[in-house]
Amino acid sequence: MQLSSFSSALAALAALFLGFYLPAPLLQGPGTRLTYRIRIMEPAATGPRVVASGAVSGPLDTDMRLTLRSDSAEIESLFQVTPVGDTVNLGAEFFTKRRVGRSRRGLPLWEHDTYRRIVRLAWNDTARVYPFGSARRSSASRAAWVELVLEREFAGGEARPAEELELVDSTRDFRLEAVVRPRRARVTLNLVRGDTVSAPRPMDLLPEEPARLIQLVLGGRVTTFEVSLTRPAPARSPRERALAIDADVVCLRVGQPEADQPIGLLCARLNNVARQLPLPTGDTLAATFAWPGPR
Amino acid sequence: MTDAAGGGVAHESWLIQIDAELDGELSLVERAALAKHLATCSHCAGARASQLEVRVALARSAGNPHAFVVPRPAIRADTLALWVAVALGSGILAGWLAHSRWGGPGGSLEDTRAAIVVQ
Repeated sequence: MQLSSFSSALAALAALFLGFYLPAPLLQGPGTRLTYRIRIMEPAATGPRVVASGAVSGPLDTDMRLTLRSDSAEIESLFQVTPVGDTVNLGAEFFTKRRVGRSRRGLPLWEHDTYRRIVRLAWNDTARVYPFGSARRSSASRAAWVELVLEREFAGGEARPAEELELVDSTRDFRLEAVVRPRRARVTLNLVRGDTVSAPRPMDLLPEEPARLIQLVLGGRVTTFEVSLTRPAPARSPRERALAIDADVVCLRVGQPEADQPIGLLCARLNNVARQLPLPTGDTLAATFAWPGPR
Repeated sequence: MTDAAGGGVAHESWLIQIDAELDGELSLVERAALAKHLATCSHCAGARASQLEVRVALARSAGNPHAFVVPRPAIRADTLALWVAVALGSGILAGWLAHSRWGGPGGSLEDTRAAIVVQ
């Protein structure tokens, strides 16, 4: 009994310790949903006008990729948040391309730049992002800016990212994307032989978990595969790394039990598009990757 | 110039005289001397006819086949100075407008980078 009460006290102390020292994202976990709410503004004769508005939401580790393009500049940025108590650190990785003139042979000359910005703000505060430079420059003062509000709310087990963008002026080239590294993925496998397809075999897979054995039945014949989910190799280009272009890409390693070499590797985004892997037997394995449903 | 046969005076001098005559720059005495020479020198007479044909062609191309004298382009010093001043002024104005619209060619790199301001 004494041992039990001592254990309970230890557990309580450990919980208290973890409560103080674990970072907020781990504590808030998938129950908290983060929303980046943005408005793209532009100066006009009668005052600032909204050119586009939208929102990106998802679990707390969701990033937002924002792309603004004009005739002479292209600004791609990846916004990330780190909650710190009641405030939040907003970091942004910028990758810009600006036209600076023409070469002697008449070709356009572009200036590439990459840098990072970090600010701290309270939840629901508004941050103004001047993507074309600080407002001190006269040309920048006439360019568009972005008003960004960070919100959080309780959202059960919903882990799927969502994004919406409403363009008031459709001639503008803006893009807004949610960037989430999936903690798990729903993979649906089908075995295809000619015009015969096996029953779909859906499963939730975690990246880097041990390989699983699955059986697909086609024409009365059972085929066994060993499948595991992995992350793709890091992107080679600095731009793709900075903007996390392949954040939602996962790779399915397909092998046969007790075989040394895998049959193949299927890499895809979680976008419900089937990928095909030809098998040595002449059959084709079709894999569809999607976001898992809420738990 | 007084040589009637044209042997003593170089043809180049008579050709200059022909050019001046066609421009209406010779005095009556000089025109008489030239006419006397042309009567005896077929070479100079041919050169004068050739000069006249060239001038007619130029006058036609200028849109005035009945011109007495082909006008020579002349730029006066004050006109030239005025145009130079206008060109300089236009350049300065265009540069100022371009600078205020797009900024200077150099400038601080930090000013061209994105900024995040918390409201």
